[in-house]
Amino acid sequence: MREFMTGNQAVVRAAIRAGCNYFAGYPITPASSILTEFVKAFADGRGTIVQTEDEIAAIGQCIGAAMAGAKALTASSGPGLSLYSENIGLAQMAETPLVIVDCQRMGPSTGGATATGEGDVMFARFVSGGGYPLPVLAACDAATAYRLTIDAFNIAERFRTPVILLSSKDVALTRQTVDLGAIELPEVADRSPHDDGDGWRGPYAVDQPADIPRFAPIGGDTLVRVTGSIHDERGVLTNDRAKIQAKLTHLFEKIESRAEELERFDADIDPIAETLIICYGGADGAVREAVATMRERGEAISRLTLYTLWPIAARAIRDAVTWRVRRVIMPELNIGLYADALRPILAPLAIESIRRYDGGLISPETICEQAGNEAIA
Amino acid sequence: MSIALTTADQPCEHILRAGNTNCAGCGMSLGLQLLEQGLDGARPTLAIPACCGIVTAGAFPTSGYGVPVAATTFASSAAVATGLSTIAELNEETEPVICWAGDGGTYDIGLATLSAAAERNENIIYICYDNEIYGNTGGQRSSATPEGVRTTTTPKGKCEVKKDIMRIMTAHRIPYAATLSIAHREDFLQKIRTAAATRGFRFLLLLSPCPTGWKSEPDESVDLIEYAVRCGLFPLYEVFDGERYRVNVRPDGTPLEEYTSRQRRYTSADVDLGHLQSEILKQWRLLDGLCNAFPAEGKMAGRAPKRN
Repeated sequence: MREFMTGNQAVVRAAIRAGCNYFAGYPITPASSILTEFVKAFADGRGTIVQTEDEIAAIGQCIGAAMAGAKALTASSGPGLSLYSENIGLAQMAETPLVIVDCQRMGPSTGGATATGEGDVMFARFVSGGGYPLPVLAACDAATAYRLTIDAFNIAERFRTPVILLSSKDVALTRQTVDLGAIELPEVADRSPHDDGDGWRGPYAVDQPADIPRFAPIGGDTLVRVTGSIHDERGVLTNDRAKIQAKLTHLFEKIESRAEELERFDADIDPIAETLIICYGGADGAVREAVATMRERGEAISRLTLYTLWPIAARAIRDAVTWRVRRVIMPELNIGLYADALRPILAPLAIESIRRYDGGLISPETICEQAGNEAIA
Repeated sequence: MSIALTTADQPCEHILRAGNTNCAGCGMSLGLQLLEQGLDGARPTLAIPACCGIVTAGAFPTSGYGVPVAATTFASSAAVATGLSTIAELNEETEPVICWAGDGGTYDIGLATLSAAAERNENIIYICYDNEIYGNTGGQRSSATPEGVRTTTTPKGKCEVKKDIMRIMTAHRIPYAATLSIAHREDFLQKIRTAAATRGFRFLLLLSPCPTGWKSEPDESVDLIEYAVRCGLFPLYEVFDGERYRVNVRPDGTPLEEYTSRQRRYTSADVDLGHLQSEILKQWRLLDGLCNAFPAEGKMAGRAPKRN
């Protein structure tokens, strides 16, 4: 059935479908309607919704609920992600499944509360001290917000990690026609329980660095200790350098070794095209329209839309760069942040950045014009 | 490129400029005008966190303030004001530093920095214009929202009682704390004068009607506050050094319904006027008890801030 909904409504619908039963949030434009939609959705008591006193409390509550076994979500915008920062580190260290939606707006600071921007693409990845990875997805519209919210919960559950889903003011608040039933969805995944078979050796015990420890809820029948300090397989603080090295290598390996498995993208490749447009988030719609326009004019052009930003979808990108590709164009609603992240992968090809950060959107015409220009590189 | 000179570029004697974009009937707007009158020509520096008051600062050319304004992050107006006032004192400047914050930035996210600045007795006037709602983000509840009131996050009426921020702040033993009413001009001006003449941390609480969130008529805003004071819901009182109390206006038996019936946020079936009335009586028993036990008499000298 086709419905008319915002990206924020799509997030809430998908979260509930993925099994989310705990939401805590603090009002902020343009994420507030996720909070108010959850108030309606959980009015029947099928989940807990709390409006907290600030963002630190919102993510703290979610971490507590998730440690106890809930599927938790919090949502904010750039200023709120700043306040989430320390607790995201706790969720990483404690390997707590958690989904965070960042409805981006113009930054820095208050920036443009009602103006769009997608400048959190690097901040989301490097939000916590230490530099350890966490998966970051980016929605383009209500439909992808729906699909990726379910993906985000599944990734959080399977790999016991916080996951950030990026949206933006236009994705979050624009009403679009969506047929949720037509969206191909993954099976809903749940964390692997500690009592599923023998050999459980503690809440953080793994055999190989990339293994995922089985989950026991804190306060359950098994003693679980949770700490943001460096700890061993039992959750006890350790000074043993071998154990420290093993734990931190595990935090890195469990995400980075699955980079290909975590790739979510949509590729529309013309094998003879010499120009490839790579995009994500709010630029996707304009890119699709630009590609259609150029093809109508008889021009060969390829498009790669990235839904996974971190880890970088390197395989999808390399596959999209056929031997014919001479130019890569990348529109972004920021100062060209993600292009910098992709340059080492695409070298020696240069990336022609289209940057817009005045609160407006990149138009299809701007993209056509750039593609029609001689390559600058 | 030349830019036409507008009102935003002109020197202006008013704290709140004409041509701002505040809603009709906004209690904060009236509060800012009374603040200016009470300051008797002093030119404050304002520290304002996220709230409608910083939207008032506005986009060119409707910039709403004629005095220096620091827009702070939501949680840190009292901290930024601490920095401003410390340097102002070192420079021997005498104009006051004023935090102008909503209830969200005071009762909720800003409470830690507010409490710490009060505990250190920073030389700041902190004014909370309390509209009992997150007005700027679409009308969500705050911990200042009264029991039973409908907001976008309490569609059936709020279950919890309103946080008593005056008791929290007076527990810090700050030199001066008082409540302000836009319907009691002389009382309002006197309290601003007292605050301005006192050194150290001063906390003022202004009940501020929000016709959008309260679902009331803009032309009834002043009347609403008058009813709130007369029925005893919003006591006008002062506390010196956290231990000497004075009530300024006593309730006159006006029914609570005069206040609640003019606001559609009070239409939840769960609103129990009898219960609310008993809460008001409890509040007055406590206040009267404090006034009797620790009356404020004579000239009030605030505790001067100390610097280590």
